[in-house]
Amino acid sequence: MTTIATDPPRNGPSPLERSYARLGVLLIAPTIVVFSAVIVYPLLAAIYLSVFSIYTPTLEGEFVGADNYVKMLTGGVFWSSLWTTLIWTVGTLSLQIIFGVGLALLLHQNIWFRSLARSLVLFPYFLSTVVAVLVWRWLFNDLYGALNHGMMQAGIIDMPLDWLGSMPNAMIGVILVGAWKYFPFVVIAVLARLQTIPENLYEAARIDGAGPVARFIDVTLPQLKSVLTVIILLRAIWDFKEFDLIFLLTGGGPVTSTQTLSLLVYQEAFGLNRMGQAAAYSVGMMLVMLVFMILYIRRTGKES
Amino acid sequence: MANVSFTNVRKSFGEFTALENLDLEIHDGEFVALLGPSGCGKSTTLRMLAGLEFPTSGEISIGGRVVNDLAPGKRDIAMVFQSYALYPHMTVGENIAYPLKKRGMKKPERDEAVRRAAELLQLEPLLHRKPKQLSGGQQQRVALGRALVREPRVFLLDEPLSNLDAKLRSYMRAELIELHRRLGKTMVYVTHDQLEAMTMADRIAVMYGGRVQQFDTPDAVYNRPANRFVAGFIGTPPMNQIEGTVQGASFVIGDHHQAITRANFAPSLLDGAAVLGVRPEFVGIHDSGDGLPATVRLAENTGHETIVTLELTDKTRIMSRVEAGRKLRVGQPVALRFDPAGIHLFEATENGLRLNLDTPVAAAQPLRTA
Amino acid sequence: MTSKMLRPIILNVVTWTLVLMISFPLFWMIVTSLKPQTELFRIPPTWLPETVTFEHYWRLLTETPFLRFFRNSVVLATSTTVFVVALGTLGAYSLVRFRFRGRETMAMLVLFTYLLPSVVLIIPLYLMMVWLGISNTLFSLILAHTTFALPYALWLLRSFMEGIPDDLENAALVDGASRLGAFKDVILPQLLPGIISTALFTFILSWNEYLYALVLVNSESVAPLTTGVMTMLISAFNIEWSLLMAASVMMSVPLIIVFAFLQSYLTSGFGAGGVKG
Repeated sequence: MTTIATDPPRNGPSPLERSYARLGVLLIAPTIVVFSAVIVYPLLAAIYLSVFSIYTPTLEGEFVGADNYVKMLTGGVFWSSLWTTLIWTVGTLSLQIIFGVGLALLLHQNIWFRSLARSLVLFPYFLSTVVAVLVWRWLFNDLYGALNHGMMQAGIIDMPLDWLGSMPNAMIGVILVGAWKYFPFVVIAVLARLQTIPENLYEAARIDGAGPVARFIDVTLPQLKSVLTVIILLRAIWDFKEFDLIFLLTGGGPVTSTQTLSLLVYQEAFGLNRMGQAAAYSVGMMLVMLVFMILYIRRTGKES
Repeated sequence: MANVSFTNVRKSFGEFTALENLDLEIHDGEFVALLGPSGCGKSTTLRMLAGLEFPTSGEISIGGRVVNDLAPGKRDIAMVFQSYALYPHMTVGENIAYPLKKRGMKKPERDEAVRRAAELLQLEPLLHRKPKQLSGGQQQRVALGRALVREPRVFLLDEPLSNLDAKLRSYMRAELIELHRRLGKTMVYVTHDQLEAMTMADRIAVMYGGRVQQFDTPDAVYNRPANRFVAGFIGTPPMNQIEGTVQGASFVIGDHHQAITRANFAPSLLDGAAVLGVRPEFVGIHDSGDGLPATVRLAENTGHETIVTLELTDKTRIMSRVEAGRKLRVGQPVALRFDPAGIHLFEATENGLRLNLDTPVAAAQPLRTA
Repeated sequence: MTSKMLRPIILNVVTWTLVLMISFPLFWMIVTSLKPQTELFRIPPTWLPETVTFEHYWRLLTETPFLRFFRNSVVLATSTTVFVVALGTLGAYSLVRFRFRGRETMAMLVLFTYLLPSVVLIIPLYLMMVWLGISNTLFSLILAHTTFALPYALWLLRSFMEGIPDDLENAALVDGASRLGAFKDVILPQLLPGIISTALFTFILSWNEYLYALVLVNSESVAPLTTGVMTMLISAFNIEWSLLMAASVMMSVPLIIVFAFLQSYLTSGFGAGGVKG
């Protein structure tokens, strides 16, 4: 088939281009279906449910308009849970970053049996939350817990502490376990970045007379800045929405002193059987998180 | 027949137009180089020919048949990529056999074809190795082998030599020229290196800013550049371009009057601002007497010639090539005389057209014979 | 000793002290599981078992539904991994190597869902499972796990896919392969380490998951390890610590295996998809 000079010039995508595009859409279609059916839908459903008052066991309810939202804003329990969530997030995040960066720096050096040390440090992250909680509850046990006895033997305290049953111990305990479980994420990410910093930057600094602290501040820290920002944002989001760990450790207690927003939603839906109200709380929670998410997306958008 | 044509091809990426008014006719068996600086659109052109990119409008034909809608595998072409793109998990033999496998060739025939290609490129001892065990030059030959084995109508090569060291590069240049001579197939070769284009191609398409500036033999592109860009791009050191004014039978540079023969230039050359182009080898340096006054800034003795950088009274720098033993001091005042055979005049605009009357040859130029 | 020689020693001592402190809970978990009941409630507790016993493990396996929970978890995690990796690989291929309208919005959507609280999603999810008539089945869990694991997997696989040079696929296309042929012959073999990484990650994610199992499943026959163990051994009156520790150790077995032999896959997944977004 030859073209004649009088044929009009082709415009727009050729059949080949279009068939490629079709294939592309086809390949991602199942993923979209999954997302729409089980993430987009629940998201929209949550917003929908929040304007009803629903009794969880029977799923019967009636339209109440903005009632749930009014109760949320004026009730106080939403705000106190938000406050608790912030304390938990800031507390555990700080520890995660400090220990994460610290261990990453140490593991970057030539330590004896370095890969074994690495494995042991990373292990908590991949452990089931259930297992982590069980172990720590056993450690925190007031009568038989190893933590109390270790501290008494070391002379730090005289009497065993009630870790999870009283405040502020419970929050401290929860923050501690959260830090233990999730700091390896920071270690891996920071370590990966450390390994890409060219050695000659340190050499140049050393020649200029910089000691180890100065080298850390002037060479390492600037290089880590961008990774750290992203890590902090990510972990802040994940810690903020954490459910399993706190629920299993304290159930929100003592009373509601460790009840974060996630736990509040769960409690409202399945403890107090008020599904509509729970939906309203979850919408509120997501709006708060939206701020974090926008920050994260802006940040990674800037980098790419 | 394996001639290639681009008819009024345009390629834009959203707002940005990468290629415009692309009209090229490549003859059967011709070796054509697409030459230009990065970003000029040469790779995009090649990829559209391959079917890896799609033109926004216009048609591409191979052997008289429009191929816009054909998948790359159906165009009867082969391509050598700049990165070689060898399949890392396959051996050299499997890499070369792959296109034949895709065509459905049976094993015994395949093995024979692979053996022949390997023999041609001296790859036999390497057939069982994996690409990462090979040197750059060996990898390149495997890429060539994979292209050869299909016996396509057209070969596409995308800067295949740019990752090789200088010595290997000149060796491979000769190899490729020899290969083209033996196979007689159409080859389209993308490069930013004008030496490669000048030595290997039958015709060169000099590209810049998404347009073909000139499509001609190396000789024409060197001696009869179509515009200021081509004049400045081809040749090392590049052609000197000196601003001045045309006044009657002279080209005036400052106080100096360079005689020119108006009859040699197009009637559109009017009195007024213009640019004089002259290659370094046509710039004669004289210690005294008539000529354009200049000062020697640098004299580099390369062993077989001296390349001299000179500065005119208005601080413009120009270059000259003289014999090897010439003694010149930095700061020495000299007089420059241009060989009339080497004088070109260009419009004074940014990419002004060349106004000499022996216009660049048309596409009907006979091919360079071996 | 000169300070130069002292430095590495101090470094090692400090590091290993920290490492041992971090791994103490794990150590304690194993130790507790091996102590006989009588020794367990000794005050002060013994740091190493005076007598080592496997009775708790034996009891766990023979007198409790542990093995059923284990089987459920294996089925759940494996099925989830298969679905997620299959969908994710194709999706990543689509996002990276194809051009079509709405592609960037897709990518944004993936990122967005990655950050949503699961507690927000479970309520409607629970309703949907009831409506579909599959509530309280393992299948509903598989579906649910797929939903939260898919964004992670897609994110990881996308970055692995981006690490494969375009020209490899292009060369295959020029050599006569169809797009899917090129995918099978050239991209998939290159993607294999990435797929393994993602599969391991997904398996562990699914194996460890608690909340969805809590909400969507309440019968013992279908419960996975996470909820199964919690309900089985914790009642209002008595917490069977020895059994719990033994269960914890056994629950972590797949993890230990992966860590011992395949750790580089796990952490490379982090590096690639890790924190670059």
